[in-house]
Amino acid sequence: MTVEFEVNGRAVTVDAPLHWLLADVLRNQLDLTGVHLACEYGVCGACTVLMDGEPVRSCLTLAMQAAGHQITTVEGLAPEGQLNPVQQAFINHHALQCGFCTPGFVVTASYLLNQQQEMTREQIREALSGNLCRCTGYQHIVDAVEDALRQSQAAGTTLAKTIEDK
Amino acid sequence: MGYIGQRMTRVEDERLVTGKGRYVSDITPPGTLHLAIVRSLHAHAKITGLDFAAAKNLAGVVGVYGPQDLEPIMRRLPQGMPDPRLRAQMPTPLAIDRVHYVGEPVAVVVAENRYIAEDAAQLVEVGYEPLLPVIDPVASEHASPIHQGSDSNLAAEVRYTVGSGSAALSAADQVVEVTLRLGRVVGHPMEPRGIVAIFDPDTEGLLVYAGTQGVHGFRHSLAAMLQMPDNRIRVVAPDTGGGFGLKTRIYAEDVLVTYLAVQLKRPIKWAGDRREEFMSTNQERDQVHYAKIGVNSNGQIVAVVDHFFQDQGAYTPSGIIVPDTTAICIMGPYRVPHFEAVGKVVYTNKVSVGPYRGAGRPQGTFVMERLLDHAADALGMDRVEIRRRNLLTPDQLPYQNGISARGDSMTLPYGEYQKTMDQVVATINYDTFRDPVQRGDWKFGVGVANYLEMSGGFGFEGAKMRLLADGRIEIATGSSSQGQGHRTAIAQVAADRLNLPFEAFVVVEGDTDAIERGIGTFGSRTMMMTGNATAQAASGFRKRLLEYAAQLFEAAPEDLHWDRGHITVTGVPAHSLSLAGLARHASGQNVTLEFASYFEAAGPAFGMGTHGVVVAVNVKTWAIEIRDYRICHDGGVLVNPLLAEGQTIGGTVQGIGTALYESLIIDPDSGQPLNATFLDYLLPAADEMPDFEVTEVEYPDPTNPEGFKGVAEGGVMPPMAAICAAVENALRPWRVKIDTLPVTPTDLFYQVSRGGIQ
Repeated sequence: MTVEFEVNGRAVTVDAPLHWLLADVLRNQLDLTGVHLACEYGVCGACTVLMDGEPVRSCLTLAMQAAGHQITTVEGLAPEGQLNPVQQAFINHHALQCGFCTPGFVVTASYLLNQQQEMTREQIREALSGNLCRCTGYQHIVDAVEDALRQSQAAGTTLAKTIEDK
Repeated sequence: MGYIGQRMTRVEDERLVTGKGRYVSDITPPGTLHLAIVRSLHAHAKITGLDFAAAKNLAGVVGVYGPQDLEPIMRRLPQGMPDPRLRAQMPTPLAIDRVHYVGEPVAVVVAENRYIAEDAAQLVEVGYEPLLPVIDPVASEHASPIHQGSDSNLAAEVRYTVGSGSAALSAADQVVEVTLRLGRVVGHPMEPRGIVAIFDPDTEGLLVYAGTQGVHGFRHSLAAMLQMPDNRIRVVAPDTGGGFGLKTRIYAEDVLVTYLAVQLKRPIKWAGDRREEFMSTNQERDQVHYAKIGVNSNGQIVAVVDHFFQDQGAYTPSGIIVPDTTAICIMGPYRVPHFEAVGKVVYTNKVSVGPYRGAGRPQGTFVMERLLDHAADALGMDRVEIRRRNLLTPDQLPYQNGISARGDSMTLPYGEYQKTMDQVVATINYDTFRDPVQRGDWKFGVGVANYLEMSGGFGFEGAKMRLLADGRIEIATGSSSQGQGHRTAIAQVAADRLNLPFEAFVVVEGDTDAIERGIGTFGSRTMMMTGNATAQAASGFRKRLLEYAAQLFEAAPEDLHWDRGHITVTGVPAHSLSLAGLARHASGQNVTLEFASYFEAAGPAFGMGTHGVVVAVNVKTWAIEIRDYRICHDGGVLVNPLLAEGQTIGGTVQGIGTALYESLIIDPDSGQPLNATFLDYLLPAADEMPDFEVTEVEYPDPTNPEGFKGVAEGGVMPPMAAICAAVENALRPWRVKIDTLPVTPTDLFYQVSRGGIQ
């Protein structure tokens, strides 16, 4: 069966059996192997992608359900050769070790950044609790997300101020 | 200039944060077939028949195989860490006639994709005649043997005695006895195990991608199983999503995949899933201890005696390293004049035990620290005070504790243990919280635990430096990374020792083609071993480059000087070459400029540290929350404090998992795992975990020239004891005893209910 959707800004047409999962189609047919599978039943969050800007578990989503929607994977968060503020903050704060859970965390945190809301450290921890990491103990991840939020808010404020000044 | 000691960010990370990491399951060569395993549904049973008809009829299935179809590889997997004390049991790649745990491989399916392979595995009919499973480790010693041809379930006994052993207890003013239980913990690297094998019929070469912690050992074991020479197999560990000891040795699936790749002449891939991690990857902890401590009325330890059982599960893939390490780590950083440990390793119908982060160190620490708490309580002494009276003091160090571990007596080097503990006691506000504090429904308690982190100390590891065409230097090592950041840390060492910019180095690991020999990454050994090998190689490599440059300049090597990658004839500035220039000459003359050095371990490193924790327990829900957590850790000379902090915090959270959440529940009648999903077996998540305050002290290790110590297992050792102590302290009015892990709200509720709320 054929399904059409958009991945990282590019229109794709995929031929896949009805019961195939979005995660498998993204990984195996579209070669977006940054989508990771660690539990395959929606608990660990490693396969998180954005569907029309909202985080979803691609291991619990049928490929067919993506029809007509916009999907963003970790590969599509920044133009080739660049990093988004979350990715840069993850590097700066040593927020990853083995890196296997990292794409899921980065996608979830990028969604948080897009919400443009102030968050306390506790709120960040709660918002990240749907992603499991076995290496880091989370502290550096929380540091990174806190830093990325602060920087994007500062940038947003600066931007708003510049517009106001004009 | 000093890269060693800098909190440098990692060269590994840009690929990993953008989704460009390449893990085993990301590798799918053209024409790949996918493999699925049919696993035992029973803990203990006779196999009465295998029927593949339905599975073979499914479209897309290439083959279904039982032990009779794979006869050439139906030999026992090689023993890891053979030991004369052990009556080893190793599995065949598929169970023959009998199964010994739920999840044991029984048959295998190969199909065009993973969906079809897994569907077909469901269609395989296996006839079972269930047998009584042996589940309780203590009863197992005298139960009917689970392995045919064996007369006992006792796999081994480990025994250590110092001084007069248990006889010395009679001289103590007070003897305290305690029974301690640690749950069965599943290690759960986020990347499940997996393997891809590609056979080239023309060269008869086998290329294997596997997320293994040691490519050379992995290759050697595969070669033995496949009856192929080592040099026809290349093993590559690409990005590996966590290991924690569980990916050290080959498993049945590795043999099945590689053998079938050779037979079918098509690439074959097995990507294990989380269910299979729960049912087939080695598990750990799972011990019962009957421990005694004898103390004088002033709190001084007279003797420690521990008799324990290691629930080994069905096989011994890594020998008896876990119970053995448990026994030798009990004494920790204390002066224990008389000591006895007897560990009985018993077979049960469960998944095998093999090293998981700590590999016995956490168990030993748990025993000693719990004994000290109980002894202090019995004497009416403060729990920190009893530690202060028994910690080894600087004037007693170095100290030989009398434990003969792998040859020589364990020798604890210099450190200021009391200072370390006092630092934590002060910052955790011990004096405030040791007396009952209650705020609303929350009762607060504090716990302190010490540990002695033993790291490295065995075998060798190499570093091979090679000048690349662009003037950079490649460093190859056999010790591969599963997230530790070796490519960054090893380059830091090399940059300092060759006085070159960090960017001049490219570290290559996890490839049997990159270096001839290697052991791998486990036991927190890589910085001690590869770090020192790198420093050693640096001087030989520099000498090699200078000698070659001397030929080019027609000068004596001693007339050349080396300044940040430029080699110049002293006094003749015109006669100067950059490393890139040198590389061009070498390439033109067909000269390879390389130098390898192998570092041999002289003995393990020891670093002492302390954890302090404040918990809050809700007296209505019995929820346990961590409110403050302080760590003081000795990692020797730290190459990269940022990475060391990551290891310490990460390990600590795994320890908290063992303390509060993690235990695979096995049904005592059927041997079925009852909570084998992430919904029921809880890993620590971001919102339960606190922020940690980590202080590093750096006492250089005397056994290696660079003074490095391992830093990956200290974190996981003391959280269990510290948290038990803190919960007991919080609930002191009810006199609960927290000696069974994990500590859960349910257990607290029942304990308090039985005791009556005062």
